[in-house]
Amino acid sequence: MARSDPLLPNAAIVAQREYRDRVRSRLYLVSTVILAVLALGVALAPIAARYLDSRSVTQLAIVSSDAALAERAVGVVDALLNNPPQGVDEATWQKPFQLGVVGDPTRAEAGLAKGSYAGVIRIERQDDGRLHVTFRTPGVADATRAQLIGFAAIGLAVLDWTANLPDDAQLDPFQAPQFDLESSTASTAEGRPVSQQEIASRGFVGTVFIVLMFLSILIYGMWVATGVAAEKSSRVMELMISAASPRQLVIGKVAGIGGAGLTQYVAIAVPALLALALQDRIAQVLLGPGGVAGAPITGLTGQLLLAYGTFFLLGFTLYAFVYAAVGSFVNRPDDLQTLALPLSLLAMVGYLGALPILLTGGGGGIARLMSFLPPFSPFAMLARLMVGHVPPWEVALSLVLLVSSIVIVAAAAIRIYSAGVLLYGQRPGLRDFVAAATRIR
Amino acid sequence: MSLEVDRVTKRFGHVTALDRLEFAVPRGAIFGFLGANGAGKTTTMRICLGILEADEGAVRWNGAPSTELSRSTWGYLPEERGLYPRLPVLDQLVYFAQLYGAPADRARSEAMRWLVRFRIPEYANRRAEELSKGNQQKVQFIAAILHEPDVLLMDEPFTGLDPVNLALLREAFLELRDQGRTVVFSTHQMELAEAMCESVAIVDRGRLVAGGPIRDLKRASGRRIVRIGLNGTAGTGWLDTLPGVIVRSSGVDRTELELTDGIEPAAVLAAAVANGSTVTHFELDEPSLETLFIDHVGRPADDGERTLAS
Repeated sequence: MARSDPLLPNAAIVAQREYRDRVRSRLYLVSTVILAVLALGVALAPIAARYLDSRSVTQLAIVSSDAALAERAVGVVDALLNNPPQGVDEATWQKPFQLGVVGDPTRAEAGLAKGSYAGVIRIERQDDGRLHVTFRTPGVADATRAQLIGFAAIGLAVLDWTANLPDDAQLDPFQAPQFDLESSTASTAEGRPVSQQEIASRGFVGTVFIVLMFLSILIYGMWVATGVAAEKSSRVMELMISAASPRQLVIGKVAGIGGAGLTQYVAIAVPALLALALQDRIAQVLLGPGGVAGAPITGLTGQLLLAYGTFFLLGFTLYAFVYAAVGSFVNRPDDLQTLALPLSLLAMVGYLGALPILLTGGGGGIARLMSFLPPFSPFAMLARLMVGHVPPWEVALSLVLLVSSIVIVAAAAIRIYSAGVLLYGQRPGLRDFVAAATRIR
Repeated sequence: MSLEVDRVTKRFGHVTALDRLEFAVPRGAIFGFLGANGAGKTTTMRICLGILEADEGAVRWNGAPSTELSRSTWGYLPEERGLYPRLPVLDQLVYFAQLYGAPADRARSEAMRWLVRFRIPEYANRRAEELSKGNQQKVQFIAAILHEPDVLLMDEPFTGLDPVNLALLREAFLELRDQGRTVVFSTHQMELAEAMCESVAIVDRGRLVAGGPIRDLKRASGRRIVRIGLNGTAGTGWLDTLPGVIVRSSGVDRTELELTDGIEPAAVLAAAVANGSTVTHFELDEPSLETLFIDHVGRPADDGERTLAS
């Protein structure tokens, strides 16, 4: 009858040591601080861009042979481009665009070529009385700006027309119209229409989550593999395996190293995600009301965060056990690189399979299939959940398959770990390994 | 009350690492497990610990099969020495003891006591990688005993130790024996085994070739050894010519002879006197453990590098 060692307390003792060893190391602390600062920097970069944008003034030249028309154009374009955001003090708010009438077209063109002007709006009256508005910019025109100038052209035409109305015409002054963009094929979630901004936001956050999951699996998975290989190279493994069962050791190691990885991950990701989620508020505090330009993260519900946490943890656990097995195959950490490459390719398939789901808003049959297959499901199912509605039974099935695969892979990893100890110092082939793994009780 | 290795057989593929190996160690004894490389010593220890499973036979402690015993029954010093290089010495000693179920506080105070006894208390908070090999070995020994196991399995515990550390470890072995612990150790150093063990098992290619109390083994060999010291112009070369006498070794002031059946020690003494030599030393002894080992195995213990999958 084989000895049956309970998982606890030894797995917890191993996990505690592995965790403490890592989080106390100087390299861990330094890398955590650097990565957290970097992530925070990336999250706050849009605010910095907004700040720089708010400080710079774009010069536009308006050229027309008709001076009255040019002055009128300045008024209309100014109203559209220099529209102060809600809540700003208009007295102190600095207009982002400065508009000037340039009488000489050649001088305006020279200024455009030199970079003194970001654009030249040329307005001519054609023979049939119609206005011809040309917006000239170096390079590709900014889409929003071009659109606004297009509006301005229409407004200008309306003004020009009203200017020629009889003096007794009872018309209010021209006002720029409000404009919204709506899609007739908008997605819905639980019967509620999902806005385009929300879809874009979820796609963005989903991509961030998938990339983070992929990187975490690669980096922290290698920690697990290196930890196992280091025990073999320092020969402490044989002492360990007489003190605790392979099951206690492998599970403790995966939990401890995984915990250290997750701690670093949380230390990096949470401040960055908070900065992203609170970007508008931060911008408002730092830049005033003018710095607010629409929250970058919307539609991120508690359910989605829970799904992310669940699939991240299960996905990480699955890969961590595989990495533990890989670490058992080699005698030195240096030998890991060759074996780790195919494993990272496996994770990469999941990662690359998930990206199209996020880009296309759902993906096809292959994406659906991948969301059930354990090595890939953490990526693919998470991506599906982020951008669309997934029936609960599909999520449940995916989770059941994922958990089952973890149990199977963990059992295999424990056997391979034990075999790795027994074959210490040798250069066994796969067959030797399988033979050793099968003869372990 | 003893450790029984009962007709244990272990095969690795086509190689039989242990072939119905059988011996018993009384509780509270120091037992030498002797064999050349690849004889099956490590495999036997791993089966005792439950790392490997015997194909046939069983290991029992106090009548209970080893597979049903707690891990803390055993204290193990593997031949492949290893510590966590970057972990402070005291921390890893407490860690190992905790895994065996010892309370951390008690393990910490006991570990400090042993570090003081082994004259390395200043290394308690240093990383293991900063210690010399000999000192690392002492730390590993402490790791094997902190949880107060009933049986200590020590694979080549004295290899690589300088004479001072060797004496410290020997004293520790004797103290553990006096506490009632059973110590089984493998070694190539026959003089050590002879000096420390009441009983031994000599294994070769997985089989027990001789076993029991050393005194009994010597007596059973039927061999007689004479150590003689001679002064005089005749030298010692003539000893070789005596019928029934084999010169085993010649030293500066002692020559070791083995007497075959039919010749008595007194005949050697008489021949020396007749040759005009002055006899400064004359001792009748039994064969050394080294000699017995060679007799049974056919080669010295440190000769032969047959390596099994173990």
